[in-house]
This record gives sequence, structure tokens and C-alpha cells, in this order.
Amino acid sequence: MSQGARFRPAKLIAGLWSAALLIILTFLVLYPTAMLLVGALTNMNPVVDGYHPEAISISSFIDVLSNENVHFALGNTLVACAGGTAVAVIIGLFFAWIVVRTNTPWKGLIATAGMLPLFVPPLVAGVGWALLGSPKTGLINTFLARAGIEWRIDLYSMSGIIFVFGMYYAPYVYMFTASALRNMDPSLEEAAEISGATPFRTIFTITFPLIAPAIISGMLLSFVVMLGIYGIPAVLGAPANIPVLTTYIFQLTAWTPPEYSKAAAVALILMVATGALVALQQKVLSGRSYTTVAGKAFRPRSLNLGPWRFLTLALAIIYLLVVVVLPTLALIVAAFRRFLFIRDVASLFDMKQYGLLHFQRLFENPATMTSIYNTMKVGIITAVIGGILAFAIGYTVTRTQAPARRWIDIIATIPVAIPGLVIGVAYLWAWIGMPFGFYGSIWILALAFVARFMPDTVKALSASLMQIHKELEEAAWICGRGTLATIRTIVLPLARPGVVAAMTLLFILAIRELGSSLFLYSSSTVVMAVKLLDYYEGGNVGLTAAFSLVQMVILGVLIGITNLLTRGAANSSVGRAG
Amino acid sequence: MSDTRISRRTLLGAAGLGALGTTLSYGPARAQKAYNPPASLIDAARREGRITYYTAAFAEVEQETINLFNKRFPFVRVEMVRAPGGQLITRVKTEAAANKLTADVIDHSDRGLMKGIEDLFADYAPPNADDYIPDVLISPKLWPRITPGWCVAYNSELVKNPPKTWMDLTNAAAYKPGTIAQVIAPSGGTTWTRIMFERQVLGENYWAAQAATKPALYPSGAPLSDALVRGEVEIAPLVYNVIYTKQRDGAPVQTFFPPEGIPIVPYATGIPKTAKSPNAAKLFLDWSMSDEGQIHSIKDHGNLTSLKTTPFNPPGFDPKTAKLWVPKFDEFEKLRDVWIPEWNKIYGYRQ
Repeated sequence: MSQGARFRPAKLIAGLWSAALLIILTFLVLYPTAMLLVGALTNMNPVVDGYHPEAISISSFIDVLSNENVHFALGNTLVACAGGTAVAVIIGLFFAWIVVRTNTPWKGLIATAGMLPLFVPPLVAGVGWALLGSPKTGLINTFLARAGIEWRIDLYSMSGIIFVFGMYYAPYVYMFTASALRNMDPSLEEAAEISGATPFRTIFTITFPLIAPAIISGMLLSFVVMLGIYGIPAVLGAPANIPVLTTYIFQLTAWTPPEYSKAAAVALILMVATGALVALQQKVLSGRSYTTVAGKAFRPRSLNLGPWRFLTLALAIIYLLVVVVLPTLALIVAAFRRFLFIRDVASLFDMKQYGLLHFQRLFENPATMTSIYNTMKVGIITAVIGGILAFAIGYTVTRTQAPARRWIDIIATIPVAIPGLVIGVAYLWAWIGMPFGFYGSIWILALAFVARFMPDTVKALSASLMQIHKELEEAAWICGRGTLATIRTIVLPLARPGVVAAMTLLFILAIRELGSSLFLYSSSTVVMAVKLLDYYEGGNVGLTAAFSLVQMVILGVLIGITNLLTRGAANSSVGRAG
Repeated sequence: MSDTRISRRTLLGAAGLGALGTTLSYGPARAQKAYNPPASLIDAARREGRITYYTAAFAEVEQETINLFNKRFPFVRVEMVRAPGGQLITRVKTEAAANKLTADVIDHSDRGLMKGIEDLFADYAPPNADDYIPDVLISPKLWPRITPGWCVAYNSELVKNPPKTWMDLTNAAAYKPGTIAQVIAPSGGTTWTRIMFERQVLGENYWAAQAATKPALYPSGAPLSDALVRGEVEIAPLVYNVIYTKQRDGAPVQTFFPPEGIPIVPYATGIPKTAKSPNAAKLFLDWSMSDEGQIHSIKDHGNLTSLKTTPFNPPGFDPKTAKLWVPKFDEFEKLRDVWIPEWNKIYGYRQ
């Protein structure tokens, strides 16, 4: 058999493989996005009004572009997300370094607790920080007043949104960078130190540049996630009249009558902005090699900080106090207190005001348990299917020469740019006609989540895959292993921390996801995020906080189980690697 | 000015309101009528066994209604889908277009939106249809299952000089900026009703005078009611059912129905032609519309009623003096696109 003849079946298989991925992505991404564009450009509901090519016009998009309120919201969005990302990178990178590369005490606890903000739905985070940092009634200000301090904290401001954004989305940066730091060969750092570089210089000239893909991926992800967040700017921005694009879009869908087409047109702005960011990321990364995981065995290096390790511990404790303990305490107060009117510090500690009223009401409602069960089910389905698909896409894009792999990458990235509220209606329009009872089933929710969070998962996996040197696979091929066997025995074990992290991330995101659930759930498939919104919209922060605590506990337990299951096998865990 | 005499027996025009809408008041009290459905309806509902209930009302409140219904009729399982108004209508329209409408009962606060999809509904009238005020009905297929009304609420721990009228909410000298709060006009039919009332009843300049107090603006009533309890804001017009249960449970709030009038928001509820359990749906809606269901709605949730006579009075509500106000339906639809931009401009709200 000639060389050319031997490769022909491989090319055919690669072509079929790419085609299969493109078909899946068309169903999951392109078709709903096309429905969204039709909606944005025709001012019609494609299912109700049918397709009218003659009605396609860019007038609503032009209207949006020329609307000064959109300009104002866009400006606020960019400032909030850029500021929030800067804070998130500083915090996330710093803690990844502390946890993975230093001998700071209790770093396992720090790593696990540092991920907790990810479990908190943005709406609840906003409510928690409003309880703490409201200029009029915030608990922090109550204590400041008690201490005789006149200065007041005001989180109903742009700086408040940036602060909370940065804290809550630092775990995204942390997850990527911790995983990369753990997988990085320390020999380069050792070489730098042998050459006389100080630890500080080594960090900034060797370590951080080497994990640049992870930093940029984490930065990009946190930025685009912030772009799509509604809860935090809604709670903290609304009282100060600081609209952002998501709150504007939410209002468009909430006003009567709802303006989904206009909302879709505003979403196009987000899509363009995000597309530009993704292109920028690819340009930054193109032509540079970040391979640091090679065939040589190594152990992650741990820097001995000496007495300075107590300073890093103190900083970590302050961070945990601010990010985890304070808002959790605020939620606990809200969940157990009958009413949240707190006149002064003494009133806060008046135990007569506390009880289990909200929890009783929560569990008296049969829909609560139904939603918990459905959420777990849809979270697991999403994590498994999404994880497999993301690995397939990530591997194809980063490690093969399969045809159309660049298109696969681009299409898989599209959902990141579409806010959940808008993409939810796109899924409804696209999938309601599917046969076999698909609409109204748990599967439609799971597939919507898989599609919606594909960019997050693919990017998370790609960062891990990019660090595995090609020579390892080549060695397996030389030894006679096929592609699938090589993936199973070489790539998957090495990428396992990233795979577990990506699937866990997907699970968490699926459990919290509200926007794309709103239009797809049925009476028997209601999920926790929808119930949480029900309770919030019912004006009951106590009930909302109680349900949030339940959600956080469930997530914490599940993450802990995941941690235990994966620790022995891959020396990685969600808590540690993220 | 067109106060309407609704019915000689029950409704009295309230002089001096000067409204383009309709002013109503309840008629003299009558004995409560028991709801005793025919055995054939009960048997048919029992065979169907379940309904899917789409509603824009608050889920927690509706669950209580379902629980109460199930105490009497435990053989009908009620599965609820709750969504905000605009999203619920989008869902209904899309499902119907795809022939996948799963609802057996659809319940919505915006009569205008429901009127737009009237064709989806089957003919339906409750057994006590004649007991309902004709002027609040927009279609023989759609019925006011609940009827929330607007009140003024204030935080009793913070407000030492409480308002007593709608006009007091324009007193910029008495209340500092941010003390009073409002739900934005474009938030939906419930608030739009109040906005119409303010302009049509309280005067052309009411908005400007109220906006001069620099009120805090909230996207909807529920978070505003919570903010009021917490003391973020001190005074707010609120739909009574949003604040009633908090007040009942001991929150530091007080409410009153202003003497100038009470804008009411009759819901529109119907049974789709495609309902899979039309008998169970009818049983649920008949019960909800009965005196028994309306008393529950008033007593437990702080709603009013669109019955000609109120079978129960919520605290602070005197049916002899209360002036209910409902917008004329054609104006409700026609004026929205014109007046809301004006309101936005006056209040500085960016839509």
C-alpha cells in the first residue's frame, strides 16, 4: 500500500468527524442563532409569524445603535466589565500562585473556600452585597455607625459593581491559572533562579508569561461572563441609575409588551464585542508555543516563603472573609431573620427576630424539592454530554489537522456572546417543533445548557490540552497505538484535571443558569434557578436567601464528592485546581 | 370626564374624580354563596386528574391557592408554570403556534396582552358570571380571577409624618429625595394602570410634581416592597397584595387606600381551546371565581375583587367610601405607547 493510499482513509475519517461536529454545532448553535438574527432583523416571532424574508431589515438594529440609552448602557458595561476583570485577574492569579506554588499554610482550605463565590447565583450575590453595602441600610454601615465612624460604604455605584464583579469572577481566573501552574514544568523557573533571578523576577518573567494562555483565557472568560451577568448590576446598579446592557435587555423582555427583537438587536452588540475579544485572544496566542507539559516527570514546585507565608495566609484570610464569610453571613441573616429591617447593631442580634420561617415555607412548597431533583438531573446530563462534546471539540481544534477545525472553534464560541435571556427565547423558537416530546423534557434544558456553556467548557479544556506536548502522542503512535487509544491512555489522563474542572464548571453553571431555562422549563421540569427567581420576584429576600443557602450547600457537597473521587486518580480536585 | 354608572344595583359613580376611566364602588353586602359544583363536573375532573396552570402572579402566593383548592378537591393535581408577564405571553404564543400549548388554564395581569390572544381560548363563564362587574370584563372568555388594587405603603419605623393621600406623594418639602419610590411605568399592565390613574384622575401635572420629589425607581413591585421593609426607601405606592402578607406577618410597614381612588387591576384568566383537562380546568377556575375563592384571594393575599359586592373586606378597606378605578380598555391600549415615553422623560428613566 502506498503512502498516499494509507492516509486516504484517515483523511476521510477526519472529514467525517469534522462534519459530525459541524452538524451537532449547527443544531446546538447556528440554528438557534439564526432564529435570533431573524427575530432581530424582522421584528417578528419566527414561530408565531412565520418566515418572511421580505421583512428582513436592519432598521431595529439601526434604532438600537442610534439610541443614546444604549450608548450609556454600553459605556457602563465596558467600564464595569473591564474594571471587574482587572480586579478578578489580580485576585485570581495571586491566589492561584499562593495555592499551587507556595508553602502557605492551610492552602487546601483556602483553595476550596476560594471557589465558593462561583456557587452563588449572581442575583443572590447582588442581594448579599446590597445587604452589606447599601449606603442607607448596609450592615457594614450599621457597624461603622456603631463604631462612631462617619465614612460610609456605598456599593450602589460603579465602583461597587466593579468590586463585586471582580471578587465573584476571580475564581474563573483562578481555575485556569491554578490548573496551568500545576501542570507547568518547574525546570524553567529553577533555571531562572540558578541564573540568579529573584523569586519576584522569576514570577513575572518566567511563570506568568508561561501560563499566559491560561491567564488570557481566564481573563476573557471572566470578561464575557460579566458581560452577560444580570443579577449584580440589577441589584447594585438600579438604585444608582447605572444601567448596563444586560439590565437593559432584561427590561426589554420585561416591559409590556416585550421587545424581544430589540433585545436581540442589543444582543448583537454584545456578540460583536465578544467576537472581537475572541479574535484578539487568538491573535495574541497565535504563533506562540505555551507547551510546558512534556514527557519528563516532575512535581509542582513549592516556593518556601519563610515567615512571609503568614502574610500570604493573612491576605487569603482577609479575602475569604470579604468574599465568602461576609456575604454568606448576610445571606444567613436574611434566611433566618423574619424581616430585614435592622435599625442598629443591637437589633441585628435580637434573637427574637430569627427563626426557621423561610425554610418552613420553602419546603412546604412541593415545587422546591421537584426543582432540586430536576436541577441535579439536568446538571449531571449537561456536565457529561457537555464535557464529552467540549473535549471532542477542544481536541479537534488544538491537536488535529482535521478540516474546518477553525470553523468548529468559531461556531463553538458564538454562544458566549449571547445573553442568556435572549438565547433562551432563541432556543424556544428553534427547538419547539422537535419531535418525540423534546420540548418540555429535561433534555431540552440540558442541551440548551450544553450549547450555552460550550465556549466556557471548550476554552477550559483547550487551555489544558495546549499544555500537553505533541511528542507524547507521537510516542504512542510510534508504539502502534491508534488515535482513540492514544487519547484514552495519554491525552485524557494528562488533561484530566482540566476535564474534571471543565465538567464541574459546566455542572455549576448549569445549576445556576436562569436565562435559557425561563422559556424551556415545563411544570414538571422546573429547575432551581427558576424557583429562585420566582421567590425573588415575589419580593421575599428571606425565602430567596434560604433557597440560596440550600443551593450552596448542595453544590458544596457535590463539589466535595467530586473532589474526593478525583483526588487519588489525578492529584487534582475542583477545590484545588478549579 | 366620564364616570360611568355601572349598574343600578351595585355600582355608584363617584362624583368628582374627573377620570377618563371608570369609577366603581361595591354594592351592599350580600350573603356568601356556597360553591357546590355538579357531580358530573367533579367526576370528569377526577378522571382528568391534573391541570397545567400558567400564571404571571407570584408563585409563592399561587401555591397557597393551589394548596387550598386541593384541600377541597385533592384529586386534581395542579402543576404550575410561573413566568413574568411578557415572557409568559411569548411562551404561550410560541407554544400555540407550534401546536404545543400545554396549559389548561392561563392567568395574566395584562388584559391587553390577553385580549390579543383571545382566539386561543374556549368559551367559558363561571357559574356566578352575573355577579361580576361587567365593566372589568374584556372578553366573554376571559375572567378576573384575581383583582389586585393599589395602595400607599410606608415604613412605620422610619416615617414620622406619613402621607395620607396620593397628592401627599408630591410634597417635595416634606420628603427628602429618595425617600419615596416608584415602580417604572413600562414595567407592565399593573403599573400602567396606576400611571393612567395618576394622570387621568390626579391631574395632568401629577407626574411632574411627583417626579420633583426625586423618587427612587424600581423595575417591579416585589423588590420595591422588600426595599421598603428594609428601609432602603420609606414610602411607595404598591399593589396591595405585594405588601399585605408582609404587613400581616409583622413587618414594620403600614398601608392605606388613598381617598382619591384605588386603581384596580383585574386579571384575565381563561381556558385554552387545546386544554387537555378542560373539566379539571373549569373546576379550578369556577372555584377561583366563586365567593369561596375570592374570599381566599382577599383574605389571604390582600387582593380586592371584581365581584359587584365584596364578600370580605381587607384591613383598611371600607367598601362604602372606597373608590375603585379601572381604566377604559381602549385607552389602556391606545395611550400606552404615547404616555409611557412622556412618563420616562419626566422621571428621567432611560428606556
